[in-house]
Amino acid sequence: MKAYLLFAKNTWNEIVTYRLNFVMWRVRNLLQLLTIYLLWATITSQSANIFGYSKSEMLTYILGVSFLTAVVMSSRTQEMGENINSGDLSIFLIRPINYFGYFLSRDLGDKAMNIVFSIAEISLVYLILKPPIFIQTNFVFLIFFIIGTTLALLLNFLIGSLLGMLGFWSPEIWAPRFLMYIVLGFLAGGSFPLDIFPKQIVNFLQLFPFTYLLYFPMKIYLGRVSSSEIFQGFLITLAWILVFYFSLLFIWNIGLKKFGAEGR
Amino acid sequence: MSRFFKIWWLLTSLSSQVALRSSFGAILFFVGKILRFGLFIAFILVLESKVKSIAGYSIWQMILFFSTFNLIDVTAQFLLREVYRFRSYIVRGEFDFILIKPLPPLFRSLFGGSDILDLPILILSIILIIISMTKVGDINLTNILLFLLLTINGLIIALAFHIFTLGIGILTTEVDNTIMLYRDLTQMARFPVDIYRQPAQSLLTFVIPVGIMITFPPKALLGLLSPILIIISLTLGVVFLYLSLRLWNFGLKHYQSASS
Repeated sequence: MKAYLLFAKNTWNEIVTYRLNFVMWRVRNLLQLLTIYLLWATITSQSANIFGYSKSEMLTYILGVSFLTAVVMSSRTQEMGENINSGDLSIFLIRPINYFGYFLSRDLGDKAMNIVFSIAEISLVYLILKPPIFIQTNFVFLIFFIIGTTLALLLNFLIGSLLGMLGFWSPEIWAPRFLMYIVLGFLAGGSFPLDIFPKQIVNFLQLFPFTYLLYFPMKIYLGRVSSSEIFQGFLITLAWILVFYFSLLFIWNIGLKKFGAEGR
Repeated sequence: MSRFFKIWWLLTSLSSQVALRSSFGAILFFVGKILRFGLFIAFILVLESKVKSIAGYSIWQMILFFSTFNLIDVTAQFLLREVYRFRSYIVRGEFDFILIKPLPPLFRSLFGGSDILDLPILILSIILIIISMTKVGDINLTNILLFLLLTINGLIIALAFHIFTLGIGILTTEVDNTIMLYRDLTQMARFPVDIYRQPAQSLLTFVIPVGIMITFPPKALLGLLSPILIIISLTLGVVFLYLSLRLWNFGLKHYQSASS
């Protein structure tokens, strides 16, 4: 356990070493937040209630999703494919550590730094623009929100790891990830709540794992889901986590048999 | 001029061969780019179904703005893709080889290989602009000519942004984040900058001129741009290009070839 904590700490230190890189990355995040926030601020100023959301709910969704993106989506799993392609995976295989545990620790270190900066950025936006904010006071919703976020975090880790495994079969590891970013950018609800789409589309999307990364936890925070919907959402998320977990183990074992440590 | 075109053609055909080497990767990039384009159009359609107009613009006007954004943004990406590779030239010392070749280093660093995978979006943007033009109502020849003039001006500003990036790259070795910062700034103009409140609107128009670069051409097409703003836009384009060339020359004078 100590070793994994150290991996997380090392990732934090790595980020601090390349400070300019990280600061530029966060400036980019702030710009992306402002773009989407200002768009929705304009739209919500035209009508008191849009797509069934009040102004404060919609702006809270946008700011909340920005925070959740730092918690859920920040990841280091893209390095897995690079490790496999460069042959560096062989170094990990001879170490007495769990490869996925190592990356989960790295993810946590990365997330910790992103969360700190994300809170600072959202506070800055809040102080300058003073948007109306919805504060959830129901303790039950808050607990479910934390559970939903934790499940989303695991789900994203497994999706990222599965994409990394493509490295066993192809040197082309960026193209699938690029496609995944595009899909997640829209279908995870990072720019708008998905229920602005017609109900049939939302019901269909809810069968897939993407909606449970950002949209579902944020809907819980806003208290816009019934207890049965929460239960159903958790059940689907858990099912996807199990499917991805066993797929990952299966693909990892096949991949290892194929791995030739080329490049090392 | 034809010599430069021949060299560009040669470098582009080489970089295209690299891009198409893996059909798996090329197909995924192609699908991803088309999907991103399509999903954003779907987003605009959904928005318009509820609010009827955004900042006073109708659905086809919004699609015109978005298509023009893509036209300028993707043309710049298509032609200037070499800028994205510039950091490795500086860090690994390969820039020295570019400097000693009988070809202007700025030309080589900007146009050293276009990205063929951007072409489908470019064609799609042009088609959507033409369709939008037929849908938005009265457009006369003067407006179309002004649109073309300001689109060229937008491309000049995009070129200047890329030259700035190269100059900063020589001085600091920082390229990737600068170019992605530029991309994020241009993303703010996927919608007309009029939707942003002041002072963001003025900042995006005159200080970081993505408004002039992307929002002004369709506004001219719709007849919503005053002559004074057109003159300011063209002047700013020239000034921006001049300043970027000054930074490039400054960077070249201070280049130390430290990595080679």
